[in-house]
Amino acid sequence: MLNHSYLLKDLDILKQHLAKFYSMVQIEKDANGEERWTDQSDPDTVGLFGHKHLPSTSPKGFLFAEKEALYKFDGETFESITPQVVPKVLFGVQACDLTAIAYQDKFFKQDPYYQKRRENILLVGIDCESPCTNGFCAEVKAGPHVNDNTADLVVSRLTVNGSNQLAEWLVIAETEKGQNSIKGLPLDKAHKAHFILRNRLLDKMRSEFADYSYINNAIEYLNDNAVPQHLWEEMSVRCLSCSGCTNLCPTCSCYSTYEIAEKQPDNVISETKAVKTETLRVWDSCLFEGFQREASGHNPAQQAAQRVERFWFHKFSDEYLTEFQRYGCVGCGRCEQTCPGTIGVHSVMKRINQECCS
Amino acid sequence: MLQLTPQTIRIVNIYDDGTNAKHFTFEPKGFVHDKPIGIGQFFMLTLPGAGLAPFTYTSLPDENGRFNALIRKVGRLTENLFSLKEGDVLGYNGPLGNGWPVEQFEDKKVLIVAGGCGLAPVATTIDYLINNNRGESVTLLYGARDLGSQVLTKERARWQTKITLCETLEEGADNAHSGLPTQHLLQTIKEYGGLPSIVLTCGPEVMMKAVAKTCIDSGLQSSDVWMSVERRMRCGVGLCGHCYVANSYACKQGPAYRYDDYLSLNNKMVSTQQHQGAFQYC
Ligand code: SF4
Ligand code: SF4
Ligand code: FES
Repeated sequence: MLNHSYLLKDLDILKQHLAKFYSMVQIEKDANGEERWTDQSDPDTVGLFGHKHLPSTSPKGFLFAEKEALYKFDGETFESITPQVVPKVLFGVQACDLTAIAYQDKFFKQDPYYQKRRENILLVGIDCESPCTNGFCAEVKAGPHVNDNTADLVVSRLTVNGSNQLAEWLVIAETEKGQNSIKGLPLDKAHKAHFILRNRLLDKMRSEFADYSYINNAIEYLNDNAVPQHLWEEMSVRCLSCSGCTNLCPTCSCYSTYEIAEKQPDNVISETKAVKTETLRVWDSCLFEGFQREASGHNPAQQAAQRVERFWFHKFSDEYLTEFQRYGCVGCGRCEQTCPGTIGVHSVMKRINQECCS
Repeated sequence: MLQLTPQTIRIVNIYDDGTNAKHFTFEPKGFVHDKPIGIGQFFMLTLPGAGLAPFTYTSLPDENGRFNALIRKVGRLTENLFSLKEGDVLGYNGPLGNGWPVEQFEDKKVLIVAGGCGLAPVATTIDYLINNNRGESVTLLYGARDLGSQVLTKERARWQTKITLCETLEEGADNAHSGLPTQHLLQTIKEYGGLPSIVLTCGPEVMMKAVAKTCIDSGLQSSDVWMSVERRMRCGVGLCGHCYVANSYACKQGPAYRYDDYLSLNNKMVSTQQHQGAFQYC
């Protein structure tokens, strides 16, 4: 790692350099003052950076599009619709979201649409400097510093108490892609001392997190199947099936499909005689009542309790460890922030912990 | 990479086969089946303008690549499908999923319990066993709502003389054949040569669970019972997430599950263990 590590005074130099080759995606405030991942951002705009600005939406949509066409039918044959992509740099992705991208990389390994987008994205990660509002990344090993091999480039601020003699930023190129992306940029090499400082800052930050030990206690209860049915029922009464959690969750991957059809002008009888149709996919949610409902009406997840339990099972079950080497939850805390029924991750895990340890 | 874009198939034959059910024959258009199709696997149909859904093969492709599927009209998509004619084209993705473990059947005595349209996913198994001169080892217990709802009329006529076939009806049967297949299960086992070595069941999930329970209570291992699980599906390849059974996807690990695997999956979800669905033939 030391081999491909550099020092940087001003992050803007890196950004301007990358903007020559990549379309810039960074966190900005929109017209309503909401912080968002913004596509085709003007590289001269100062992006929002780091733990203070974890946007309520993750950058998931840049890889797994919220809505996209899969294939079209011309009346005789089907043809794939390949996503139109330009090289993009996601500049300043926090550790939790990078961990989520690494998770989805595995899930969508064989998905041509996801991979097409993924190939064209350069990930610049940033080490967080203090805990964010609802984040508990440290508890689920997703942060607060960027996990190895989850970004192409990592930037880490080496400032202690507002000043630092060593350098302002440490830049680590973790992949060949990252290494290539900074070719031609005159940068000094980093030294061991810089990494020691980075680790010291990490330790300091870790100690600043609130006591989130209930998260891991609850994970254990969940996996022991110790959460009583009545608790799932009580919590699920609060689920409004709004899909806020699943949309915002950076690892949720479910989708539905639908068709749009261009009908024959004078055919009013049959929908099926469409000349041209397109099949699209769109994010879906296992919290919707009809998510598993079959055409016959049979619904294996008829009870809200089943659906709520499903969500948490998918985030915290040990059963997924073999496939993903980690839990589905990366500790971003977005579901806590958004859930109108207050059954986001903190509320749920606290209740499970309380119920099960009493 | 996975291929989500379907290949084109053409409808070459349609005939009525039970109340609100039709039997379709499809023919590949511009492609040949490049993968062998396993018994009990399924495929996704794209009906342009209406959507996509999973269906099972009731016959494996013949020398022209033609294959059959039994389809019951249950919703908007199948309603649209029923308005199609011979010559119309559709999208096809298959074969998908894991089918029945026919290679494990060897010379075992096989009991098949099917309910309603659940007969379709076991049809190729029955033909396979008959074609391998194993018909005598097969008992089929088939339950339906009434005479009109019975499906695979031609197939059952063909099987009649080759396997042991018992049929039950909820309505309109004599006493010996009236009710649900589960009510006749023990009797069937007793009458036709005792406990089978392997059981395949397909139909409403509650029926399959009841079948498994009865067989296990009678002395079978839960690993001797196999079931084919129906789920809503939007991709068939483990991406859309709709078909989950705990941490498995019915489109990948299933649709055929060994009962002990199915049980241990279900037991991971507290609320699912508690929830018993309603009995409803499809
Ligand atoms: S479950 Fe909640 S806290 Fe965990 S990754 Fe998803 S949105 Fe973030
Ligand atoms: S099943 Fe639910 S929790 Fe799992 S990815 Fe799909 S929407 Fe998210
Ligand atoms: S049908 Fe999409 S995951 Fe199984």
